[in-house]
Amino acid sequence: MKSYVYPASVRNSMEDFLVREELVTKLKNRFTTYGYNQVRTPAFEDYDMYSLVSGTVKTDDMIKVIDSTGQVLVLRPDVTTPIARMAALEENTVSGNLRYFYVLDVFRQANDESRQKEHTQAGVECLGENPPEVDAEVIMLAIHTLKDLKFPNFKIEIGHAGYFKELMEQAAFSKQETEQLQTLIQSKNLAEIEPFLNRFSLNEEIKRAIMAIPLLHGDPNQIMKQAKKYVINEDMQATLENLSEVIKLLDMYGARESVSLNLGLINHMNYYTGVIFQGFIDKVGKPILMGGRYDHLGEQFGKTLPAIGFAFHFDLLLQAYEQNKLDATNMEEDVFQLYYDDNHQENALSAACILRNKGYRILTFPLSKWKNDHQPTSKIIMMTIEKKQAQTKAGEFEFKNIDELISFLSSGKAGV
Amino acid sequence: MESITLALAKGRTAKSTIALLEKMNIEFEDFHEDSRKLIFYNNDKSIKLLFVKAVDVPTYVEKGAADIGIVGKDNILEAQADVYEMLDLQIGKCQFVVAGKQNTELGTNQTLTIASKYPNITKKHFQKKRQTVDTVKLNGSVELAPLIGLADFIVDIVETGTTLKENGLVILEEVEAISTRLIVNKASFATKSASIQLFIEKLKEALE
Repeated sequence: MKSYVYPASVRNSMEDFLVREELVTKLKNRFTTYGYNQVRTPAFEDYDMYSLVSGTVKTDDMIKVIDSTGQVLVLRPDVTTPIARMAALEENTVSGNLRYFYVLDVFRQANDESRQKEHTQAGVECLGENPPEVDAEVIMLAIHTLKDLKFPNFKIEIGHAGYFKELMEQAAFSKQETEQLQTLIQSKNLAEIEPFLNRFSLNEEIKRAIMAIPLLHGDPNQIMKQAKKYVINEDMQATLENLSEVIKLLDMYGARESVSLNLGLINHMNYYTGVIFQGFIDKVGKPILMGGRYDHLGEQFGKTLPAIGFAFHFDLLLQAYEQNKLDATNMEEDVFQLYYDDNHQENALSAACILRNKGYRILTFPLSKWKNDHQPTSKIIMMTIEKKQAQTKAGEFEFKNIDELISFLSSGKAGV
Repeated sequence: MESITLALAKGRTAKSTIALLEKMNIEFEDFHEDSRKLIFYNNDKSIKLLFVKAVDVPTYVEKGAADIGIVGKDNILEAQADVYEMLDLQIGKCQFVVAGKQNTELGTNQTLTIASKYPNITKKHFQKKRQTVDTVKLNGSVELAPLIGLADFIVDIVETGTTLKENGLVILEEVEAISTRLIVNKASFATKSASIQLFIEKLKEALE
C-alpha cells in the first residue's frame, strides 16, 4: 500500500493552535476597544459580484465553483467587498461610521511555490465618513495592535493614491506605459526611470516630480517639506494637505516613531482613493498589513460610502509572533499538574473542580504517574501525606487546605 | 547602529564588488578568492557578508534573509523579485541578446523554440513582440542548443561575443542592457532605514 504523503500546507499541532487563538484574542480585544464589531461573511459568494466590482483581487486568482443549477460561485477571495455590500444595505448610516472587524479565511489561486490557497486575514473596515481623523484613528489602531504584540521594531509606511494619480493625469501616459512606470517607481529603480521618461516629450516640472517620487520616503516632516517643492496644481496640494493632517493627528497619538512617509507606495491605484499604508516588522521580508482609503467601492452597490480599512496577513503575523515570543521569554506552561496519593484522591478531585471553576487549567494525576524530569517552567500542585505544596516559577508554597491554595494563587505571589 | 546583512553574488562580479566595498572602507580581512567560507564580517562587525550563487541573491533579499544584495540585472529580472532596486553599480556590463545560426531570421509566424538559462525573461520578451514561443530551460552551454537542433534560437547574456562567434552563432536582436545592481529588501528599508540609507550614500560616493 502506498503511504500517505503530507502536503506542505498541513501544519496544525496543538501548540500552534493555542498560540494562534491567543493571537486572535489579542487582535479581537484591541479592535473592540476602538468600537469595532465582529462580522462574518459567507464563504461562497456570487462570482458576478466580484467580476463587476473592481477590487484588489484579479478574477483569475479567484477559486470558482459551479453549483447544481450551473451558477458560478467563488470562495471568498476578500472580505472588504462583502462588508461594503453589507454596509450599503444598512439603513441608518447617517449617524456616523460603521465599524466592522473580521478574522476570516480568504481563498486565492496559489501562484507561488508554497501552493497555499487559504490565508487568514484579520482586518477592520470603517465606513461612512472620511475626515482625516478617521484615517489617523484607523492607522493608530494598526500601530496599537502591533504594540500590543510587543514587536520591538516595526514601521507603518504611509502614502497617498492621489499624488501619483494626479501626476499620471498630467503626463497622459497610455495604460501600458503607466504600468511600466508604476513598476519602476515601486522598485525605486532610479537608474531606469530617467531613460524611460526621456522617451516622452514631457514638461520638465512633471518629469522632475515623477523622478523624485522614489526618494520621497522617510521621516514624515522632512519628506513633507520636500514633496511640497514638486506640487504642480491644486489637486496635488490638497493631497499633501490631507496627508499632513493625518501625520499631525498621529503625532498627537504619540505615534511619531512608528510611521514613515512613502509616496512611492502606489499599489492598486484604481482601487485606493486616498491614504494608503502598509506595515513592516523586523526580520519579515513582506508587509504584514496593508490598507487604505477606498471611497468608491460603496458606489458600486448604489450608495455613497467613503471607507477605509486594513487587514493583517495573519499567517505571516502568527509566524513573527511565535518567533518573537520564543525570543522574549521562556514560555511558562499555564496548566497545573495536580498529583495526589490514595488518601487524597477525593480531596484532590474536589480541589481540581473548585480551581477549574475559578478559571485555572488543571490536570490531575495519581502519584504513581509522577516523573522526576519536570521542566523548571512546569506548575505543580502536590497533595500527599508528606506534603501539600504548590510549585511555580515564583517558588514553593505549603498549604493546609484548598482555601489557602486559592488565596496564594490569586495573591499574585505565585506569579500566575 | 543596527548591523546589516549583505548578499553578494559569487563569480564574475565578486572581485570588483569587493574592491568597491574597500573603497567605502568596508574591509573583510579574512576574505580571499579561494576561501570556502560563506559568511564574512567586516572589521567592526557592522556588516555581515553572505556569499551565495548569483541566481539566489534576489531570493535571499526578497525573503529578508539578507537586507541588501549586489547582483546582475539578469538575475533580478529572471527572479521577478519584489524588492527595491536602488543603484546601478556600472560594473559587469553586458547585453541580453537573441542569437541563432548564421543566415537565420526571427521573423516567422510559427512557434519558435528558444533555449535559455532565463525562461521568464525569454517569455516576456517574445510576449511583447506577440510571438509565441516554447522555452527550453538549460543551465549552461546554451550555445549548443541551436547547433544540434534542440532549439531554433537562444536568449543569453553576452559580454564580448567570443563564445557566440566560436560556435558560429550571431546576434539577431538586443533585448536589454545588463549591469550589476544594488537591491534592498522592502521591510529592511522600512525598519533599518538609517543604516541602509548610510550604506547607499557611501556606495554612491565610492562610485563617483
